[in-house]
Amino acid sequence: MVKLSLDSTFAALSDPTRRAILARLALGETSVTELAKPCAMSLPAVSKHLKVLERAGLIARGREAQWRPCRIEPRALKDIDDWLAHYRRFFDESFDRLDAYLQKLQAKGRTQERTQERTQERTQERNNRGSKRKDRKHARNKQPRS
Amino acid sequence: MPATSSLDLDRDPRSIIGTREFDAPRELVFSAWTDPKHLAQWWGPNGFTTTTYSFDFRPGGTWRFVMHGPDGRDYQNLITFEEIVPPERIVYRHGGTDDVEPAQFRQTVIFEDLGGRTRLIWRGDFPSAAERDRVIKEYGADKGLAQTMARLADYVAAQA
Repeated sequence: MVKLSLDSTFAALSDPTRRAILARLALGETSVTELAKPCAMSLPAVSKHLKVLERAGLIARGREAQWRPCRIEPRALKDIDDWLAHYRRFFDESFDRLDAYLQKLQAKGRTQERTQERTQERTQERNNRGSKRKDRKHARNKQPRS
Repeated sequence: MPATSSLDLDRDPRSIIGTREFDAPRELVFSAWTDPKHLAQWWGPNGFTTTTYSFDFRPGGTWRFVMHGPDGRDYQNLITFEEIVPPERIVYRHGGTDDVEPAQFRQTVIFEDLGGRTRLIWRGDFPSAAERDRVIKEYGADKGLAQTMARLADYVAAQA
């Protein structure tokens, strides 16, 4: 049995000719000769591509007839579909969460800044009051005694 | 705030390209990737939580963690950082464990400065023999690794 793996499935799909072959097979099973017609390719070249697709579990070839019809195997495509769904979900939902987390971090940053500003203002006020008191004291001291 | 987000499968047959904009400065968005404390707050789809075993944020370093699914299942994860250019780019390899992620794929994260806002580009490359060979050649060779380390050293020097 062929061990299905996403690595070989993706590798098989990374070639435009093989994707074209799969698109044709999605319409129904057919022969190697039929598949070679629109590709402008030799039969051995097409056979090579078919072998890659077969190893990746994307197609199966009939043994019953002499012309060995090729047909699509839905299982490997299903694996890819599942993987893509998982990938899309990760992208959408993780980054929604990241967005919310960044907002939270920024809100916290702003609160900290405000707290810092308030502390600074209070310190400033205290200093001002202190110096005013000193001024008053100073002024009192300066007042001529009667 | 409406999130600007898209996932594009058609631009390049070997890649999935996602873009997303965040209303936060680039340094902050980047820093959310650099610490497991931050990552635990947002990594994974809804309902998932993350426990980190080890985290080594440098080129060649790994992040080993488990994702606890809402169905009660645990998913073991391994991420290997290949390239880190703060606050612009992170490249990592994800997967390798059969139970959750049978495919080894390469993820490039690009942080674009939009002046107070940030555009994040998330590109996943489908594994292919050629791509794997390139990675092995580039990162397996001492020269490639030395270059990456030199870039990191430049960055640290610039920060000092």
